[in-house]
Amino acid sequence: MTDQGSIRDDAPARRDVAGNAPEPVEAGSRTVGWLIQVITGALVLLLVTLHMIANHFIVPNGLRNFNDVVEYLRTPIVLFFEVMFLVVVTWHGLLGLRAVLFDFGLSARTERLITWLLAIVGVVTVGYGLWLTSVVISWA
Amino acid sequence: MSEEQAVAGAPAAPRVERRVRRRGPLSWIDVRGRRLGGWAFALNRATGLGVLLYLYLHLVVLSLLAGGPSSWDGFILIATNPLFLVLDVVLLFGLLAHGLNGIRVSLVGLGIIVDRQRALFVAFFIIGFIVFLIGAVRIFGETGGG
Repeated sequence: MTDQGSIRDDAPARRDVAGNAPEPVEAGSRTVGWLIQVITGALVLLLVTLHMIANHFIVPNGLRNFNDVVEYLRTPIVLFFEVMFLVVVTWHGLLGLRAVLFDFGLSARTERLITWLLAIVGVVTVGYGLWLTSVVISWA
Repeated sequence: MSEEQAVAGAPAAPRVERRVRRRGPLSWIDVRGRRLGGWAFALNRATGLGVLLYLYLHLVVLSLLAGGPSSWDGFILIATNPLFLVLDVVLLFGLLAHGLNGIRVSLVGLGIIVDRQRALFVAFFIIGFIVFLIGAVRIFGETGGG
C-alpha cells in the first residue's frame, strides 16, 4: 500500500484465489485524504463540464473575446462557480500529485515537507487566480 | 503440480497468485502480472499528471487577460490554429479518461459495484469514446470551420 489511491483502487483485486479478504484499508489521514479526493473529484467533474460548455462549446469559435470574458465574469453566479472551480481543481490536482510523489516510498519527514510545499503552491495558485479574476472584472 | 511434488506424491498446493512488487511511477509501465485494474490505475495517474500540467499552462495563458484586449484577442487568433485544436482534443481525452475512471475508482473504493469492475470499466470506456468523438468533431467543426 503506497497511497490512498492504490489502497482503494485495487482493494477488491487483493482477494486471492483462496478467497482471502482484502487487506484492511489504512485508517487515519490517508483515508480522509482519499475521501477528500473523491469529493473534490466529483465537484471537479461537475464544474469542469460547466466550464467547458460555458467557455468553449456554446461560444462561437470556442473562445470568448476580451469584452465577453469581462462581461461573463461580472455575472455573480458565474464568478461563484469559476472561483469554486479554481479552488476545487487546485486542491484535487495537488492532492493527486501528493499521492503520486508518495508512491516513491519517501520518509515520513519528506512526506510532511511535500504536504506543506504543495499546500503553499495551492494557496499561491488560488491567490494568483483570484488576483487575475479581479483584474479582469475591474477592467475599465 | 510441480515436478518435485509429483515425485514426492504430495498433494498439489493451492495456486497462489504471484504478486509483483511495484514501486514508484516508473513501475506504471511495468506490464508484469498487470490486470485491468492495474492498467486503469496507471492511466488514471498519467492522465491526472497531464491534466495538472495543463491546468498550470492554462493559468499561464489566462495571464494574457491581464494585458487587456490587445493581448487576449491576439491570442484567440493563434488558439484557433489546428495545432492548438489537437492539444484541445488531447485535453478532452485526458479529462474523459481521468474523470470517468475516477468515477469507477470512487464507486469501487466506496464499496459500490465492487464485483462489476470490468463491466464498469467497459461501460465507461464506451461512454468516454462516444463523448470524445462528439467533442473532437465539435472542436474541429466549431473552431476550425468557423
